[in-house]
Parts: sequence; structure tokens; C-alpha cells
Amino acid sequence: MMENLIDAKNVSLSYGRSKKAVDDVSFTLPKGRVVGLLGHNGAGKTSLMKALVGLKGVAGSLTVLGRDPAAQRSQLLTELSYIPDVAVLPRWARVSELITLMSGLQPNFSPERARQLIRRTSVGLNDKVKTLSKGMVVQVHLALIAAIDAKLMILDEPTLGLDVISRKGFYEMLIDEWCDGERSVLISTHQVEEIEALLTDVLMLDEGKLVLNLSLEAMESRFIALAHDPEAADEVARAHPLLRYRSMGGKPAALFDGVPPAHLEQLGQRFRPSLVDLFVALTRKPELAPRA
Amino acid sequence: MLNNWNDTAPIYRQLAQQLAGQLLDGEPKEGQPMPSVRQLAQQYLINPLTVSRALQSLVDEGFLEPRRGLGMYVTEGARHRLMQSERDSFLREEWPVLRERLRRLGLTGKDLNWENA
Repeated sequence: MMENLIDAKNVSLSYGRSKKAVDDVSFTLPKGRVVGLLGHNGAGKTSLMKALVGLKGVAGSLTVLGRDPAAQRSQLLTELSYIPDVAVLPRWARVSELITLMSGLQPNFSPERARQLIRRTSVGLNDKVKTLSKGMVVQVHLALIAAIDAKLMILDEPTLGLDVISRKGFYEMLIDEWCDGERSVLISTHQVEEIEALLTDVLMLDEGKLVLNLSLEAMESRFIALAHDPEAADEVARAHPLLRYRSMGGKPAALFDGVPPAHLEQLGQRFRPSLVDLFVALTRKPELAPRA
Repeated sequence: MLNNWNDTAPIYRQLAQQLAGQLLDGEPKEGQPMPSVRQLAQQYLINPLTVSRALQSLVDEGFLEPRRGLGMYVTEGARHRLMQSERDSFLREEWPVLRERLRRLGLTGKDLNWENA
């Protein structure tokens, strides 16, 4: 029995001779997880996802659903649900025609299930793609791929450019219709704050390297934030926190990997660091550095 | 709209507190079933594992009990015990802060409107 849906060991990927788009990345993805793949633009998210579905060859060892993606791509593509970053649906088609099309392309696709999922949305089966808003098109796309009987869904920036109502509708369908404790989803985004509660795990890429790979549960116990008075700033800085910033209430705060030194705990108050704070701390680019 | 959580505690703790608040209001009543993990996951837009953790922490505190094959039920006496634990935590944590503020403002019991406005 296959243990992990994805098993990546020392996976690297480069374009030509330039620097690596994905640099020595290792991780596993078990069943029943909702994994966020976070990173700035150009961090390697799309390259990694393309490698997972066999659209890019890699160095290292990569197994997806028990298969070698590059060698068994066409087989693999019928066994998982994938929305690429450049996803488009044909503008001339009606939704009902897309369902017919998918039935022909995907042996594991259920037209009944697709129609049932479309009924959740405000889109009609007779609507043409070109008459739909961007948010509706993405919902249709999700309905189509969620109707594939698969164990793994891979979504590359699915909510990019959508308004808040459409994003909410998208996440609702994902949680309600896909996440059943058995199936897993890997979703890339840089809308970190709004996806945090959806995730069970997080993978963080920075310049092709995996800088964080852990469950949200482990994150709670490993990273500790301390809000403190401005007078304590020098003392806190000397303990070299990962990041110094301002907490929600506007108080100065510091983020530590692990328990902060005992003498600092008395100067401040612990609070829950958000995924965004951690994201900034671990993938900070020069232009994001705090203004002095 | 998409993120209803603050930085005071882990999200599962915050959800457990919200659900406990609803139990105190009798939703659902003692002996009645809780909504399913999937229903709660969709309602709060949280992954099902986090919902399960929140429910489990309410089980650990004795407010819910799992019934085999049926899901979670509100235990008998849950409301009373919740009330007791909420009172204790108010008196322990919130009241000293409130009392200090009242003192600073020079307010006494008779300055406060104890009826509805």
C-alpha cells in the first residue's frame, strides 16, 4: 500500500545553465492533508508543481501516486486533479460541453458529480464560458477537476485575481467537496493570511529552496512570538529573533524559532505568530526588510 | 471575511471557545448532536483536522462525548459545568483587570447601570 501521495527526495530542476528553479527539495505528502505551497513570485512554486505532474523533468527522486511523473505522465494526469497557473477554459464552450469533453479525456471523471458541483454555483449548464466572470470560470474549473475520482489535487495559484466573494466560494467548495480526510490537496498561493486556517501543513519555498516544511500544529509549538514594550527593544534585539515587527495591537514584537530566553519572557507577552509573519521572517527579500 | 481568527491562541482553541460559547447559549442543547466535522469545516472555512482538534479539546474538558458511529453529542450537565468554568475564568482573569479600571476611573457599584439601558 502506498504510504505517501507524494515522495520527493533531493529534487532539483533548472532551466538551461542558469540557477536552479527548484534546489534540492525533499518532502512527503500523506493522505488527508491540505498543504499550502508558499513563496514569492519566482520562488519555484510553479516549477515544482509542473515537476509533480510530469511536465518538467527533475534531478533527484520523485514519486507521485506511486509513479514516476516524467516517465508516466499521461497515466498520472488521469489520476490526479490539476489546475495549472495558466489555466484557461475554451471561451466558446458551454459548461455542459466542457463536461462532455472531460468525460472523453478523463477515464476517472464523473459527469453526474460535475453537474452536482456546478449546481452549488450560480453558473448554469447552458452558460458559455465567455459570458462568465473570472470568479465563475475558476469555480467551474474546480467543479470539473473535483469530479475526477482522484486522491490528489494540485492547484497553482487558483484564486489569483479573484475578488473576495469568489475566493470564499472557491475555498468553500474545496473544503466541502474535496477534503474528506482521505484526499489531499497541494495549493500554491501568496494570499497567505486568508488560507492559513484551511491548511494542515505548509511548505515554504525561497529561491528554489525549501525553507519550511511542517504542520500548522508543529508551527504553534515551535515558533513563539513575544509582544514587548518599546523600552525592551534593545534587550530583545540582542537575543537575535528571526524577525522584529509590530503585532496586531501595534506593540513591538519579535518572532523566535523555539523558546525565547527566559529573561525576555518577563519583558513581554507571548502570542500566536501568524503564518504571514513567519512567511516574511523566512523568505524576507531586501525590499521587504523593515524600514528602520 | 476570510480570516476570523486573532493572534491570541491557536485556531483550534479559538474555535473550541466559540463552540463552547454557543453551548452556553444552548446550541445545541444537552444530549443533542453537534454539527459534523464537515459542516463545521465548511461553516468556518477551516480544515477538518483543526475542527477535529477543537471538538477533541471539548471532549477532554467533558463538554462533548463521542458516540460510536453517530458523532459528537453534548454531555448532560455540560451547560452547568461550562457556566462554572466561565465564571471561574472571569473572576480569575477578567475581573481583576476590570476592577482596576473601575478604581482608576473612580466608579463604584452605584454608578453602574445594572438594568438594561
